[in-house]
Amino acid sequence: MADPAAARRALEAALGAENVLADPLALQLYARDASMVAGSAGLVAFPRSTDDAVACVRAASAHGMAIVPRGAGTGLAGGATPVGDPLVVVSSKMRRILEVRTEDRLAWVEPGVPNLDLSNHLASLGWTYAPDPSSQQTSTIGGNVNTNAGGPHCLAYGVTAAHVLALDVVLSDGTVARLGSEGPETGGYDLRGLVVGSEGTLGIVTAVCVRIAPRPPAIRTLLLDFTAVADAAETVSEVIARGVVPAAVEMMDQGITIAAERFAHAGYPIDAAAILLVELEGLASTVDVQSREVESAARSHGVRTIRVATDDAERALIWKGRKSAFGAVAQIAPHYHLHDCVVPRTKLAEVLTGIYAIAERHDLVVTNVFHAGDGNLHPLFSFDLREPGTLERVLAAADEVVRLCVAAGGAISGEHGIGLEKRDFMPLVFSDDDLAAMACVRSAFDPDGRMNPMKVLPDGARCGDFAAARGHDVARVAADLPAGSWI
Amino acid sequence: METLHPVTAVDVADALRSASSRGVDVLPVGGRRHLDKGNPGPVDVELWTTQLDGVVSYEPAEMIATVGGGMRIGTLQATLAEGGQEWPVDAPGDATVGGVIAAGASSPRRLRVGAVRDSVLRVEIVTGDGRIVRAGAPTVKQSAGYGITRAIVGSLGTLGVITEVALKVRPLPRARRAVIAEGPGLDLGAGMLAAVPFAAAVLADPGRVVASLEGWPDEIEEQTDAARRVADVIVDDDAGVPVAVESFPDAPILAEASVAPSQLGAVLDGRTTWRAALGVGTAWVGVRDLDELDALRRRATDAGGIAPVIRGVGGLGPAPAAARDVTLRLRAAFDPAGVLSRGRFWGASFH
Repeated sequence: MADPAAARRALEAALGAENVLADPLALQLYARDASMVAGSAGLVAFPRSTDDAVACVRAASAHGMAIVPRGAGTGLAGGATPVGDPLVVVSSKMRRILEVRTEDRLAWVEPGVPNLDLSNHLASLGWTYAPDPSSQQTSTIGGNVNTNAGGPHCLAYGVTAAHVLALDVVLSDGTVARLGSEGPETGGYDLRGLVVGSEGTLGIVTAVCVRIAPRPPAIRTLLLDFTAVADAAETVSEVIARGVVPAAVEMMDQGITIAAERFAHAGYPIDAAAILLVELEGLASTVDVQSREVESAARSHGVRTIRVATDDAERALIWKGRKSAFGAVAQIAPHYHLHDCVVPRTKLAEVLTGIYAIAERHDLVVTNVFHAGDGNLHPLFSFDLREPGTLERVLAAADEVVRLCVAAGGAISGEHGIGLEKRDFMPLVFSDDDLAAMACVRSAFDPDGRMNPMKVLPDGARCGDFAAARGHDVARVAADLPAGSWI
Repeated sequence: METLHPVTAVDVADALRSASSRGVDVLPVGGRRHLDKGNPGPVDVELWTTQLDGVVSYEPAEMIATVGGGMRIGTLQATLAEGGQEWPVDAPGDATVGGVIAAGASSPRRLRVGAVRDSVLRVEIVTGDGRIVRAGAPTVKQSAGYGITRAIVGSLGTLGVITEVALKVRPLPRARRAVIAEGPGLDLGAGMLAAVPFAAAVLADPGRVVASLEGWPDEIEEQTDAARRVADVIVDDDAGVPVAVESFPDAPILAEASVAPSQLGAVLDGRTTWRAALGVGTAWVGVRDLDELDALRRRATDAGGIAPVIRGVGGLGPAPAAARDVTLRLRAAFDPAGVLSRGRFWGASFH
């Protein structure tokens, strides 16, 4: 039986009373993330070190509580929403940049460091950390690791998984493991690669070693405007077909462009059906030649105007509109539901048409701002929850959007993760055996199911269905190996 | 020893289900180019993947190719070249896609093109007990479920047989050039690495450094000018990128050390047969015998790294200390009867 009172006493003794919260207001505050689902927290703890995190795992284990690791709570899929009164372990008191070693092209940071703090710190040294989710002002590196976060610049540089060298992780049995290494390869299975994107279900990340890179010598940002969404989408494909992989290609449709322009005054053309923001990075000569290719591709698809940012201030302004888009939609309606799915780049126009039709059918306002280069759509439905029946319409539309993306050959999440919100969609893209294999990964790390239960996998996905029921056990495999060996 | 030549994933599943129920050891084999890594022991059955070699789909505008795990690298690259693209590994043409992935054999151009594990978007494997499992998605990014694709890379055939993969491919560079400078490789190379932005590789030997440049012709000229500012260089527009497993053909044993980049000097000090990827932390080191290998491994371990053998005998090296139980449980779940790639593990004795 769970004994939160005893867990609280143990944690207060280990972490100090100021780092443990159990009052109703705190429990309510940590009962949800940025998704639409609310849960219930049993206890909230703020470790300041790996040792503190170990104490959290031990106290939870000793007193029958599950654990939900959490960063800034900007997640949109409910991955950090506690279910069933667990201990919520918050990284906000672990926010030191521990070291930056440019000679090794790496930095060690604590999980609670906001993405933008790291980026700004590195920028002051002439270096960069590529992943830049739109939430980067708030969202933490630890949260980014757990969702395998993306962002506009992942087109050229890859998602978070490609930028994490090593992790210190407190496992569910309270042991601390350094997974991965400062070098390019590690012995054994890539457990680091499994923890990335695992949404807090495999352990508590307490330190992250990220790969950093020198800042490119030249950056150019172009704003292209089109009178038809399809023209913008086809331009994206043509740019890629010409052998140009920009650092970022973002698309905004008319609805979001109008909202963002009112907010940011970036000079966006509000009569355009769609705009593209294209960022090119590299040597000056690379940027020149790629810029010519992009402009030529856009002209062959009827671009109306091409605006090139002439200085850093203009570049920042153009990006400000994009990065503040989700805030700007508050002008449309008080609430929104943001989706995240991926489709083949060549299907963008077709799927967008389908999304507009879904919105119309359910009488909802939809706007779109997304990572077009990756085919990563973010349709955003705006509404007022105070109107009766709205939530049902929103959820019905959400269901149709996911199915539309899957039918187009896509993925059910590009960068936000599965959490609670999408776990029941997993069978749309994965077979029973696929899901059982995932459950095996989970139970390999957490045999007792203590870490962030109910997340990622749908009810019924069990490792036991896959293998254990057929009579194997760890001892049998381990017995085949010499002492101290590692498969 | 028996050899099997499955042509579909279902064939593989049938074979492995049967092998698991009878306790028959199976070694998945592709082009045999990376088979020395982990020195698998003698087995009852070799399962050849080389008939699993079809193109499932390839759409250049998506920059994704889905192919059979047994497709030869040469065939794949020829197919991709027709779309103006490449899968950025530099493996022997007769190696297989699945073999490169199972060995985790990243390109010497990793500085620019990234690790092989970051270019595998989706895998289909057949587990030791004959289950067909897919993970990932055929899209350039995804965050749905666990990163089993990443765990398969470098797993040396111990978690499953790779039957199909979706690969993230990239545009072929319009031009390539090697910029070469004679002199102490690590020192010269450090200067080159700092001076030449976006080099594909800066490869140091004891007596010279080669910067591999690739991209647009103007870009390469700009990089060459940058290199000339720090060293007397000659250029070679016909030099290819070295293939890791073919390095130092006269050395009986070839190890691949992996350390934080600043530790390369400490690992290579006093040695004569090596090539190091600066800014990455990989060094290919030719050694004569197991004693020399032990000495190299001690240095790599002291520097926080590893030095598995990728050609010849010598195995992988000591078992990592972290999360041993997790590894054993993973292996047990994916290959409950323990029939796959027996002996191919970290910490195995090879003497």
